[in-house]
Amino acid sequence: MKCTECAFEAPIGKFRYLYNARIDSSISMRQCPQCEQWLAVDELLGEAQDAVHPGEAPWGKSAGIEGLAGDSQG
Amino acid sequence: MATCKDCKSFFAREDDRSQGDCVMRVVDPRQAYYQATPVETEKDASKCSSFQKK
Amino acid sequence: MGQRTAQTEKALSVDELANRREWWSVAQKTRSKRLDYLRKGVWKKGAIGGNYAPGIKIDLTLPQLFTEKWQEQEGEPIMLQKAHAIAHVLDNIPIFITDRSQIMGYIGSAPHQIVWHWQGISMVNEEIYNEEGIIPEPEEESLEILATLNDYWGGRTAVDKLARILDPEDAVKFMSGAIGWGTPTSAATYSTKDFTYIFKGFEALLAEIEERMEETEQKLQGNPSPQLLPLYDKLPRWEAMQIVLEASIRYAKRYARLARTLAEHFESDPTRKEELLRIAETCERVPAKPPRNLQESLQFDHFVQVLARYETFEGAWPHRPDYVHGPYYDKDVNQEKRLTKEEALDLVGEHLIRTYEVGIFAPKWAREGLQGITGTWVWTMGGVKPDGSDACNDMTIAYMQAARLVRVSNPTFGFRWHPKVKDEVLRECFECIRHGLGYPSMRNDPVLVANTVHWYGHPVEEARTWVHQACMSPCPTTKYGCQPMRMASATANCAKMIEYALHDGYDPVVNMQMGPKTGDPRQFKDFEEFFGAWVKQMEWLRNILVRTVNLGRVKDPEFFGRPFLSAIYERAVETGTDACDPSNGERGNAWVTGFTWVENADSLAAIKKFVYDEKKYTMDQLMEALNANWVGYEEMRLDFVKNAPKWGNDDDYVDDLMVRCLREVSRHAKENKCPSNNNWPLLPENVSGNIHYANLVGALPNGRRLGDALYDGGISPGPGLDKKGPTAVLKSCGKFDHVTDGRAFLLNQRLSPTQLSGEKGYQLWKAYMKTWADLGLDHVQFNMVDDATLRAAQKDPEKYQEVIVRVAGYSAHFVDISRKTQDNIIQRTVQGLG
Repeated sequence: MKCTECAFEAPIGKFRYLYNARIDSSISMRQCPQCEQWLAVDELLGEAQDAVHPGEAPWGKSAGIEGLAGDSQG
Repeated sequence: MATCKDCKSFFAREDDRSQGDCVMRVVDPRQAYYQATPVETEKDASKCSSFQKK
Repeated sequence: MGQRTAQTEKALSVDELANRREWWSVAQKTRSKRLDYLRKGVWKKGAIGGNYAPGIKIDLTLPQLFTEKWQEQEGEPIMLQKAHAIAHVLDNIPIFITDRSQIMGYIGSAPHQIVWHWQGISMVNEEIYNEEGIIPEPEEESLEILATLNDYWGGRTAVDKLARILDPEDAVKFMSGAIGWGTPTSAATYSTKDFTYIFKGFEALLAEIEERMEETEQKLQGNPSPQLLPLYDKLPRWEAMQIVLEASIRYAKRYARLARTLAEHFESDPTRKEELLRIAETCERVPAKPPRNLQESLQFDHFVQVLARYETFEGAWPHRPDYVHGPYYDKDVNQEKRLTKEEALDLVGEHLIRTYEVGIFAPKWAREGLQGITGTWVWTMGGVKPDGSDACNDMTIAYMQAARLVRVSNPTFGFRWHPKVKDEVLRECFECIRHGLGYPSMRNDPVLVANTVHWYGHPVEEARTWVHQACMSPCPTTKYGCQPMRMASATANCAKMIEYALHDGYDPVVNMQMGPKTGDPRQFKDFEEFFGAWVKQMEWLRNILVRTVNLGRVKDPEFFGRPFLSAIYERAVETGTDACDPSNGERGNAWVTGFTWVENADSLAAIKKFVYDEKKYTMDQLMEALNANWVGYEEMRLDFVKNAPKWGNDDDYVDDLMVRCLREVSRHAKENKCPSNNNWPLLPENVSGNIHYANLVGALPNGRRLGDALYDGGISPGPGLDKKGPTAVLKSCGKFDHVTDGRAFLLNQRLSPTQLSGEKGYQLWKAYMKTWADLGLDHVQFNMVDDATLRAAQKDPEKYQEVIVRVAGYSAHFVDISRKTQDNIIQRTVQGLG
């Protein structure tokens, strides 16, 4: 797998597994051993998709909110 | 020798004049308060950095 | 909140701010100047992301004062020795009065300081020595003091003493950190308090003790007999109670003296001068004598709570303040009109702030399990009186209103709902939830009263006095119902039950044989055999925790000693015993907290369906995937997540398994006995233990990997796995009996603030609550903050300092909890009602 930030390449297991906030998604968070960036990883493809920064949710919206009125606060 | 009883911050106890409170105004980064620490009236205050003669 | 400048924020009206759900700004605009000053001035004591906030320091004066007197009194019975040491602290610790405050008392010498209990656990003492940032300046000098204290207390703490008599194998397994947490000592505990007894005033308690001592001394002058011999031990215990009660009165009078000094020599504002003189009068009066008005009753109460925490780390705050203080509010505000409603609200708001202010050092593991707070201080509101009539009063409403004004994350409220609760009170509960506080949690009073009678035999009139002993468990506040020491180490990491059933009792994470060898599951012929292994692992896990705690409990009076608590416990005063001595008539109210419980049902359902019923996978394949932590088996993992039945969808396949597991535990709960010979029911809930244990529980058949957060609630479905809507969740949770199948069951639900705005929103919520009550659930609590706010708070925490969320059993400021916990909360399913 290749880090999207620093291009470090190694088998997926070398990227420290952090957690998967949403159990029903194949996207998990792993950390690059070289640049320490948190990465969104598709575990099905074994590929790093993007860096994850505070406030970002690579899993998409929370379950359930699709059927409700739009939620936002200024 | 300066003792606590000579200090502006010292307030003797009415029920026991040998004891008293050292009352200090403290302003910390969040709030202001008065703090009281029990002291003996005759305690040596010569090395106290907060000592203020009455 | 957030993006706009202070100037534009100021220009918005309260209504506009409320429409934008900017509740912190609403609170700032509507509260009094006094509450605004006190709320902004308070030091945050809960750890932020595991670390204490800058400026927070450990108080070294307190342990030094305690230890110097303790050493002087060496050789005395422990309770007497401790009483002398506590009295010395109370007589000499610096005290302070914050500008504008009206309620006195703090544990420590200054508002930014936190204390710890050096007499509890050596390992914690060592941790403080190595904790960065909290050592007071000059650091070198402070470290020397700490080192001297640690040298003295090493080997002498309550847990050090207990460790010497514990079964070594049990001790090693417990210390692995994998199966449970906590410490079997009242050095880290919490106690119920009976204010009908305490409010007699300490002088009355002293007179009662004096009478008992005289009676006993007379008996000892009579004919010698073996029956007289135990009386000799009672006398020093009573003496210890006297010493601390007298010192407590002196401690209060020190505040009276300081307030008077300030009024006479420092204060020029006549209004504040008058307040200071009233503070002086109040602290002269209580706790020595019974309170006469609201300020005195709140002050008495706060002194008791502070004094109890000078004695030990009380990590929870069992209390029912609306019930205790309601009559004083009524007298002052309604009858004698001594206070206006606004003045009363100032006192009530400050009561919340003074409680929030309390800080006690917690070790890292506890900070991780209770992120963002000092302890689970859940105050009980509402409910019924001993005769069954509605107990809600004006104080119930005042606390709810004050909570919205001061917006503290601790204490929180648990509301005892019952069918006679008036609509105006229910609306107040809803307003707090709608304002994003995450509290009150809603508790089903008739169910929990029946539950309290069922499990321990508390008489129904006593059961009706119940308070939350911690987050969830009801406990009566009566002479024989009060629980002096909740044994926090009876907290089970329940996901290990299924993990050990899969691994023949071996723990693949800590690499130890933990549970009994129940066999290699690859050899099991059917699901029943597998389930039998689960039952054996469950029994083993509960047994090891319960027996350790039972031992800690009976040894506590010998190893720790509670002179203050004993002095305010009627049964201890009557019998001359330590409050924690289970032989003094305590009925018993023990429970095992079940962290990470729901994974069992979901994992068992997946195994039953895929391995035994459909034979889609062999047990060998499953074990291979689990042993690889699902790495390389992602398709199979998603199959287990998405296509195996999941709790919370009104699906009998998995729900029946949940019920079966609970009934097995309940059977066993009656076989386990506490020192009062009463039962040990299970109470599934998590605080933030689901995050703490994420790295201690291996891959499971529900599809989680080592490292993933476990499910958040006691019976909450997995985040995102409840696909059928809120009624299906309630129906699943209503399939077992909330009276007989366990002690209490924590259910987290997340609602949409947009959907629940306005009157329509209240009516939707009320209808939901009716279904909840009709189905006989005992608990539910809500988060009502939207995704956008929470994500924005992750991105820009400085601007969202005051966003509060319900974690599990407690609330916390969102920015104070770890990213993993934040994500776990955000991913909870948002339920649309109606």
